[in-house]
Amino acid sequence: MSTQTPNRPSTTTSKIPTRAEKRPDEFTVVASDQGLGLNLPQTMGNRLWAPMFVMAVMAFAAALILGFVRSNAIATSADPAMIAQLGHVTTGVMFIGFTAVFSAITFAIARILGVFRSEGGDVQTLASGHVQTLKMPAAAKGMVVSMMMGMMAIVVAVVLHFYVAADVVGSSEAALTAAAQWGSALEGVRRLGVGMHLFGIVLGLATIIHVLRFQSIRILEVAKERSASR
Amino acid sequence: MARTLDLAARPAAGANPRTATSHAKVGIVAAIVGLMVVAITTIGNLVIADSSPVLASQLAWPFGLGTTGLGVMKIGVAVVLIGIIVRLWYRVDSVTQALTAIVGDAARQPTSPTTISTDIGPAKVSANPPPPLLIHRMARALWLPMLAMGAMALVIGLIVGLAASGQAADSAAFRGLSAWAQGTLFLGEGLLLSGISFLLGSILAGLREGGGEVQAALGAPVKTLTMPTSAKAFIALMAVGMMAAIGQFIGYAVVATQYAGNAAVFATNAAWLGPLREVALGVLLSGIVLALYTISRVLGFQFTRIRELITTAA
Repeated sequence: MSTQTPNRPSTTTSKIPTRAEKRPDEFTVVASDQGLGLNLPQTMGNRLWAPMFVMAVMAFAAALILGFVRSNAIATSADPAMIAQLGHVTTGVMFIGFTAVFSAITFAIARILGVFRSEGGDVQTLASGHVQTLKMPAAAKGMVVSMMMGMMAIVVAVVLHFYVAADVVGSSEAALTAAAQWGSALEGVRRLGVGMHLFGIVLGLATIIHVLRFQSIRILEVAKERSASR
Repeated sequence: MARTLDLAARPAAGANPRTATSHAKVGIVAAIVGLMVVAITTIGNLVIADSSPVLASQLAWPFGLGTTGLGVMKIGVAVVLIGIIVRLWYRVDSVTQALTAIVGDAARQPTSPTTISTDIGPAKVSANPPPPLLIHRMARALWLPMLAMGAMALVIGLIVGLAASGQAADSAAFRGLSAWAQGTLFLGEGLLLSGISFLLGSILAGLREGGGEVQAALGAPVKTLTMPTSAKAFIALMAVGMMAAIGQFIGYAVVATQYAGNAAVFATNAAWLGPLREVALGVLLSGIVLALYTISRVLGFQFTRIRELITTAA
């Protein structure tokens, strides 16, 4: 036994004609005769959450192994320069994992928003033929910007970690001090990157609240439109 | 505040879905406060980077304060998730009303329990809404204790970290306090992420319960998605991540109490405990990715079912 999936429009962004429509409340919408499908960030969210997730898992595993290698190097009194290099490389790999996992979370939120937009449009198409779709709220735009800023901050920090690791040559006091100074500066940059990622996630979740509220109101309007048209 | 935390604060029958809740605003304000704290500690790190040599004791306060700032942001995430749960109940009431008006009695039909396959995955058919799963009951019971314990651990870790920053960098006292601070702070972060995971579990519970309620109200067969593999993996990752978070705390406690006086052994153990504590959070975050993916799948299933019900009335 299988459920029948009713015919539905494509869930990709298309050139469906839209028109501005004013609502009596605070929601800004565009109207159309069928669902609009996914917008660009939602399409990206659909495609990229899984690769980011896989990249994160791999990076975390690699960083943990590097941590044990570094621990062993310390225990065997290895070259201090190598220990400093391993410290920077371990942190760099770890934060590839963090930016990937935070991006995966953001993309997964975009995917949820895509389901609301695409499927909500399809339900309206089927029930009344008059579709209202929320314009992208400021919070959703903030989510994208914040994620990009967080990712940039962490990627810059990771690149610099690798650069510093490559630059620690010899075990001179000056080289080790410079590596420690870079370590302090980059710790702050990484933390700020994580903060920007988290801020984007909060904005994305707040957008879900906004969309849920709109759809709870809209479905009741759709029922009225349908009964009025009969 | 009590209303913000009350997950069972389901709107009364006939409640107006236009009613706004404050969860999003409270969550965003908490996130901004946390981000400002993080920005201050970033400046602190950049200033400390100018000193020569950089002492571990100098880095203790930005580490403690910055981790606490990130914790405050996670509490903001949790508050917004609570808002989503409350909003889902408004959605259940609105969809029930709308479908009753659109479909009427057309969806009413006798039901024999069975399992079906759908575009989204296998689903069970029953006459009544399915009872909550054990994991859903756990999620609803444990999200608040996890968040509360996480917040307390962060505060304790911050205080210990500040105490460590007052010690000489090469002293046993510093090493001991620093280890306690790191272990406690990351245990707190792990508990906060577990609280967030349980809130996501509560959202999945609400979707399951609410979806069943809407279908039962129409007299239609209640179709419920069986637990997807991604949800099982989410639970597994959350358990592994939480165990790792507890494990790193125990590791730091052992190091603080046994090896603080031996700089070499301390450094050897700190070298693997650092990555372990971060991997613990990474695993919990990976579980959160899968929980969000599962939510999108369940929502897709529900929308398909709504369209199916509307089609029966056509």
